Amino acid sequence: MPPKRKAQADDTDDYEFADEETPSDKETFKTFNRLKEEFDVVAMGKRARATHARDPASFLFKKCDQWDAALKPDHNNRPLWVDDAGRIILESFSPIFDEAQDFLINIAEPLSRVSRMHEYTLTAHSLFAAVSVGHSSQEIIDKLDRYSKTTLSPNVVAFIEKSTSSFGKAKIVLKKTLSYIESDDPTILQRLLQDPTIAECRADATDGLIKEAAPKIGMMAIPGTKMAAGANQLAQQAAAPEPQRSSDVIASLREDDDDEEVAQVHSFQIKSEERERVIKRCQDISLPLTEEYDFNNDEVNAKLDIDLRPHAQIRYYQEKALSKMFSNSRARSGIIVLPCGAGKTLVGITAACGVKKSVIVLCTSAMSVVQWRAEFIKWSNINPDDIAVFTSESKTKFPRDAGIIISTYTMITATRNRSYDSEKVMEFIRSREWGLMIADEVHVVPADIFKKVTYSIASHSKLGLTATLLREDDKIDDLNFLIGPKLYEANWQELSEQGHIAKVQCAEVWCQMTPEFYTEWLKPSSVQKRSLLSIMNPKKFQACQFLIDYHERRGDKIIVFSDNVYALEKYARKLNKAYIYGATPQAERLRILENFQHNEMVNTVFLSKIGDTSLDLPEATCLIQISSHYGSRRQEAQRLGRILRAKRRNDEGFNAFFYSLVSKDTDEMFYSSKRQAFLVDQGYAFKVITRLEGLELRPDLAFSSPQDRRELLMDVLLAKDEQLGEERIEGDMFSSIGSRGGQARRKKGAKRTAGTLSDLSGGQDMAYIEYNKSRNKDLTKRKGVKNDFLRKLNNKPGKKPS
Amino acid sequence: MVKAVKGTLVKCDASIKAMLVDIDEKHGHDFIIEELDEEHILVKDTKIAELKSRLQGMMKERLKEPESSGSE
Repeated sequence: MPPKRKAQADDTDDYEFADEETPSDKETFKTFNRLKEEFDVVAMGKRARATHARDPASFLFKKCDQWDAALKPDHNNRPLWVDDAGRIILESFSPIFDEAQDFLINIAEPLSRVSRMHEYTLTAHSLFAAVSVGHSSQEIIDKLDRYSKTTLSPNVVAFIEKSTSSFGKAKIVLKKTLSYIESDDPTILQRLLQDPTIAECRADATDGLIKEAAPKIGMMAIPGTKMAAGANQLAQQAAAPEPQRSSDVIASLREDDDDEEVAQVHSFQIKSEERERVIKRCQDISLPLTEEYDFNNDEVNAKLDIDLRPHAQIRYYQEKALSKMFSNSRARSGIIVLPCGAGKTLVGITAACGVKKSVIVLCTSAMSVVQWRAEFIKWSNINPDDIAVFTSESKTKFPRDAGIIISTYTMITATRNRSYDSEKVMEFIRSREWGLMIADEVHVVPADIFKKVTYSIASHSKLGLTATLLREDDKIDDLNFLIGPKLYEANWQELSEQGHIAKVQCAEVWCQMTPEFYTEWLKPSSVQKRSLLSIMNPKKFQACQFLIDYHERRGDKIIVFSDNVYALEKYARKLNKAYIYGATPQAERLRILENFQHNEMVNTVFLSKIGDTSLDLPEATCLIQISSHYGSRRQEAQRLGRILRAKRRNDEGFNAFFYSLVSKDTDEMFYSSKRQAFLVDQGYAFKVITRLEGLELRPDLAFSSPQDRRELLMDVLLAKDEQLGEERIEGDMFSSIGSRGGQARRKKGAKRTAGTLSDLSGGQDMAYIEYNKSRNKDLTKRKGVKNDFLRKLNNKPGKKPS
Repeated sequence: MVKAVKGTLVKCDASIKAMLVDIDEKHGHDFIIEELDEEHILVKDTKIAELKSRLQGMMKERLKEPESSGSE
């Protein structure tokens, strides 16, 4: 059955952690190394398991069987279980839970944090991060042992020691927009250079000729004194020719190097574009490079006059996150993970205020560029002139030596011919050094785009911000090398309990398929058609209508999400609500959103994928999802994020609502359970609703008669496949740019559909429906007018409480 | 002449009914005596076992198993 197979293929592409690596040399190398690494951790555990005694229940605990590990006598007072594979289970009801959690978040990565038990895992990355924050390996082992209910297995101890010992030996630094690897100990550099990959990535910019003459070993370890960055550069250039005489001096030279004092710093230059590869490689040969920026002592780059305004209050978790970044008064590159609406922007701005150098901010869309700029002005005392914006609409530079530039990923990485203006700005960006690069929504950035970004922008430190550090492919690991390790990840439940983000009730509403729709669904047809059939399920429609009405009556503001544009339009038109998707013109979008925010008559808005991220709608308190991108956990979490920042979250007893409508007995059920995985790990519980009380009693239900349903079905079946597809991908991330193209294409030509003559004449029970196409537009326009009027009305008697 | 067929009343979800009808159609209307409404059908008594197994097969084939807990 071909469609079935196709569906499956799709599946693996999207949801299993498909290895999408191209079989190039570099990639296979990477895989090999990863395997090696894997082998180390997992195999270590496996070997350990082999030595354990087995008992009749062992087969149930394949992953980790710790049954013979002796409990400490006072295990009741200790909150942790640590198994051989480095997984840690923390009891959240333990009295010293907070203490233990603070410690664990430093050394391990949280996997899941449900109410009673938290699960962490030790990884090489997390341990590096721990060391870079200032824990010593002995300290880590001691503390872990103190919290653990059982004695730590020697494997775990060995793993921690191995991962932490090599840390901090060499670092990667940036001087005059060029990258260097630096170390106190020249033997380390030599060891690095003996590695073929790294040797390959060496740049010959300092002295091309000589390098070519003797390209083999690390004779280029350039001695320089530890000075301020600029002076260092000069010293290097002066010293460069000296050790590069010829290959036979090398041996003696190396001995010389060894005798030199520790105070000296040695370095060699690498190609900026290979930077990421080098970092990765160094990690693989267990000599990870640290990336720190000593901004206080950087006198080459001009200072930026920026400080937080006194009214800006940093919340404790933001402080925690930032303290990770700025320990020992240097800026460390890395990623900070905070839930949507928990103030990521403020973290970014505070970081900028800490570094006080030129900052470049990258976001996903022109819309968020505007938001970032506004936030900078709101929270810091920066001169608005110093904030430049680089988008397709406006291209400015800041007038003084230091400033902030805000742009989008696409603008920076565009490969097409640029206009003269943007080329000039790009040149400006490329030619300078940046103190800090802030990458917003860093999870959406595919590795290859980001590589380009890091290559074309010389920044001393990088800060990635995201709410959902996960992707359905395995590219998320790449961010470790491109930006840095995860510095901090907030606990969603904790934040919502403290009122920093809204409390959310999640529910999955199961809607029966009507027989007609299900019969069609069972027939072999394209994947899109089948998914559309399950989206357009009349029962689902009714459930959606019911929920919208119910929540509108409660005074909620509702967002309805649908990935599928066809369904989006159908739903919105039928229910007479405003909707926004990729092809909606900017002006109309703004008008609709403004209405949604201020107009009491407009309480519901339908959004396509474009609303998933970065859209700031603090009014929204209820969210209904009618279709989604297969099993994407990220999308689910991002959508939830739209209501986490609800304005009214601190009202007593306030709950935000998140509904996911699912057609029963279809693929949606399967995907839905996948999608929820991330949120469940964050401690959210999904209630399943199989029946909406009072649904049948409503007289005005849509598609209540079989006749209506059949018409709808016909409609769906006649819709063309292209129409049914997921929305164009450009609409996802780079909305305003992508959508314009889409719109142009859409307007062209008449719609042509296949059908038999008997169909058209009504022989097959087909009926003509009048689509009031213009009505939607009228609606939004009329609303605009209404809004002005209403606002005036509202202004007179003073502000109404929302 | 009046012909009597012994039947079994099957009560099921609408979607399962759609599946049963589908099976019935594919096998020359050998199973179902009468479709009563969206959730009820009358099925030939003798064919119940076969219908059950066919339905099971179909469900296995068409529906993805929801993830069982702890598989990850």
